[in-house]
Amino acid sequence: MALPDETRGAVRMSAPPPISNDGTVLATRGLGVRARQHAILTDITIDFPPRSLTAIIGPSGCGKTTFVRTLNRMTETSPGLSVSGEVFYLGQNIYARGINPVLVRRRIGMVFQRPTVFPMSVFENVAFGLRLEHEPADVVEEEVQRSLERSGLWEEVKNRLDKPALSLSGGQQQRLCIARALAVRPRVLLLDEATSSLDPASTQRVEATLEELSHEITIILVTHNVAQAARASDRTAYFYQGRLIEVGPTEELFERPKEKLTEEYITGRFG
Amino acid sequence: MAPVGLADLAQARRRFARWNLGFDRYIGYLLPLLFIVAIVPILDMVYWLGAEALPTMTWATLTTGGPTQPLGLFPAIAGTVWIMVIALALAVTLGLFGGIATAEFLSERSAAWVRMTANTLAGMPAIIIGMMGFVVFVLYFGWGLVLIAGAVTTAFFMTPYVFRAADLAFSSVPRTIREAALGAGARPIDYILRVARPIVTPQILNGIFLALGLGIGETATVIVTVQPSALAPTGPFSYASYLTYVIYAEYTSPLPADVTLAFQAAFLLLMIVIVINIIVRIVAWRYQTRLAGLFV
Amino acid sequence: MSEPIDPRPATDAETPSSPSPSPPAGRWSGGGGGGSALLHILELLPALVPLAIIVIVLVAMVGTTRGVPFSVLDFLGSSWLVQPPGVAGSSYGVSTFIVGSLVTSLPALLLAMLIALGVAIASVVYLPRIATRFLDPFVDLLAGIPSIVFGLWAFIILRPYFQQSLTPWMAANLGFLPGFAGPVSPTGLGIPITVFILTLMILPISTLLIRDTLRAVPRELWESGLALGATRWEVTRRVSLRYGSRGISSAALLGFSRAIGEAVAVSFLIGGATNFPTNVYSTTNTLSALIIENLDSSFVNPQEFAALAEVGILLTAITLTVNIIARRFVMQLGVHETVV
Repeated sequence: MALPDETRGAVRMSAPPPISNDGTVLATRGLGVRARQHAILTDITIDFPPRSLTAIIGPSGCGKTTFVRTLNRMTETSPGLSVSGEVFYLGQNIYARGINPVLVRRRIGMVFQRPTVFPMSVFENVAFGLRLEHEPADVVEEEVQRSLERSGLWEEVKNRLDKPALSLSGGQQQRLCIARALAVRPRVLLLDEATSSLDPASTQRVEATLEELSHEITIILVTHNVAQAARASDRTAYFYQGRLIEVGPTEELFERPKEKLTEEYITGRFG
Repeated sequence: MAPVGLADLAQARRRFARWNLGFDRYIGYLLPLLFIVAIVPILDMVYWLGAEALPTMTWATLTTGGPTQPLGLFPAIAGTVWIMVIALALAVTLGLFGGIATAEFLSERSAAWVRMTANTLAGMPAIIIGMMGFVVFVLYFGWGLVLIAGAVTTAFFMTPYVFRAADLAFSSVPRTIREAALGAGARPIDYILRVARPIVTPQILNGIFLALGLGIGETATVIVTVQPSALAPTGPFSYASYLTYVIYAEYTSPLPADVTLAFQAAFLLLMIVIVINIIVRIVAWRYQTRLAGLFV
Repeated sequence: MSEPIDPRPATDAETPSSPSPSPPAGRWSGGGGGGSALLHILELLPALVPLAIIVIVLVAMVGTTRGVPFSVLDFLGSSWLVQPPGVAGSSYGVSTFIVGSLVTSLPALLLAMLIALGVAIASVVYLPRIATRFLDPFVDLLAGIPSIVFGLWAFIILRPYFQQSLTPWMAANLGFLPGFAGPVSPTGLGIPITVFILTLMILPISTLLIRDTLRAVPRELWESGLALGATRWEVTRRVSLRYGSRGISSAALLGFSRAIGEAVAVSFLIGGATNFPTNVYSTTNTLSALIIENLDSSFVNPQEFAALAEVGILLTAITLTVNIIARRFVMQLGVHETVV
């Protein structure tokens, strides 16, 4: 089973559509990322519509993690990465001069692969973002509860809000991280393999949560689990060797993939 | 049409968030300035040491000294060398054996206890160890205020650092190597001397140098156990001067020449410490590069 | 507007590439069958060396006090007066020196911790890698400077400045603060200069330890904080410092123990008086300086000698307690553990 050793062209588009304010929430145009001389991502152009769940799939090393990290300027925490191209949030290029990444991240949240709860109580974890904004106590309480409900954790922790977050199980911690990210009401939520370290039951819970959330906000989920992409997402994008090979509605991509590379990956020929 | 995103991002910036962003930036400039607060006094000290010590320091300063030539450091240097050689030999012996025994032969629980004792010993003030040295070696053993009393006392002070370095070094040998040695039928002594030695040597050397630096600069262990002499020592049971004593004795002297001598001794000490530090750094760097592929 | 936000992991040249030491697999004990019991004991015995030394220290001090009457009340009195042997009227009250030790160590600890925190945060969070590559080893170097060198520099160079400029200025301008008015030490010796030097002495080692602690914060935790829209400062303050609070506490305790145990430099600078400090400029004495000044000469006076041993026991008790508490807090055995 030999790997294809040549990437075929990136997603072809006749002309990049102009970014309008009623359509896409998040879009990239010609996005590229380089580390020293090595190109990690090349010419990614993709749109993310509002209220959708897009799965990003691809084999290890294809650049999908780097891709989502460009979407909220987290690439800046790794020295040596240079970003070219544009990322548009509601029409505004977040890499433009004068845009502070701190603000970008308040609008585009991120959940990581392993649960990263802070060494504080459950309540304080979720309230973290709100405390940054110095919200009054009653607002904080309300929003914390709301976030926990949206992430499906409220019932389980409502009597344990003051307990250390580390006392929760792995799956609960990850949902706590989602609640924490939601508390600041982002429009976009990025998840970098967020269920990879969870058991199937927790994974299912998280997927159910994400499915509900996708009716309200834009969710982008990086996953190495093709089956998860198939069952949980509305749209799927396939990355390979730093390029976007194909993107489209999930059903279409899985049943009638346009690119041979896509087909080979999702049918398990390699990966 | 103005991007909605810009307005949205602007809305994310609430009343004080602007202050927060600014604060973050300014504190990023401010905090590094604290480095200056920390470093400037020390630089001043080094400058003064050099300024006072160097103008009159000649080769003669280092090679002469004695009752007839009071302004020489030779007796002190000789004394320091005598003391440190004995102290180092003893400390390395005790520390190596102890550290290796802890890393290799003790159960994890016992090792934890032993490590605690080593850490506790390292935390004891030098003057307390000095007091022990006075009581035990000078008085109880009856040696008197001789240099070997100071040497052994200093050795006790230095031991925990060598101990910890040996312990850490041997504990850090990768499991795979250890198991391979075991599987090949090696006895402990073979493993230590043949297999582990090249791996642990740099780290242990570092610990030894560290202990040496601490020992040379430590005053409290020797000042209460050794009677100073104006001559270079003739044997382990003679009185001796030593570099830190020169400083201790002369710092209040009304004679400028004596004070200069103190500065010269201090300068010499500082140079020794810097050289040792550089050696440690080089050894660590070569260790890092040599063993990069080992810990896969 | 890009920021170098990456908190550098501990990749000093000194850190071996392997993670925290794993217990050696298959310890030899019990293996190597046929070893005699004697050999077995010989293998284990060296590990007791540190304990043996500690025991010798304690026995030495306690043994010296044997046979000499001891009264806790007198010991905690405030007058230390040594009469020649045979002459009555000696008293060995150490409360003056306890206060002296505390009043020099605690301010030094506070100052050193504040500066060390700032420097460590700057090094881990804000400074670019090029800068830290030079500054970090420099701080490491400072940690090894002998204390007597500090003492000499302070006595000869700094003291006139304290004597003529700094303390009069403080008395004149800060006199409204309790204890800051009132007679300045005529020699420039006393508490202020001692605090200054002690701060300088514990600063490098505290910086090292806090730096190690902050570097040990998992990278993902740091990134999660940033991903929530927090600035570097906010993540540091709310997450890193909390995560590393134990390490920082232990650094503080170790610094305190170092400051209170320092004998030589303090004996140069504290003035050696046996009176209770009356204001912040007073000369006084500390437990450790007292011992180093009087130990040899006190041999001829068994009472004084025993009293000094008691002071030693007190000092040991204080430092041991502080150290044990500090070590319990240490989360990770970094490379700098070998230095402290």
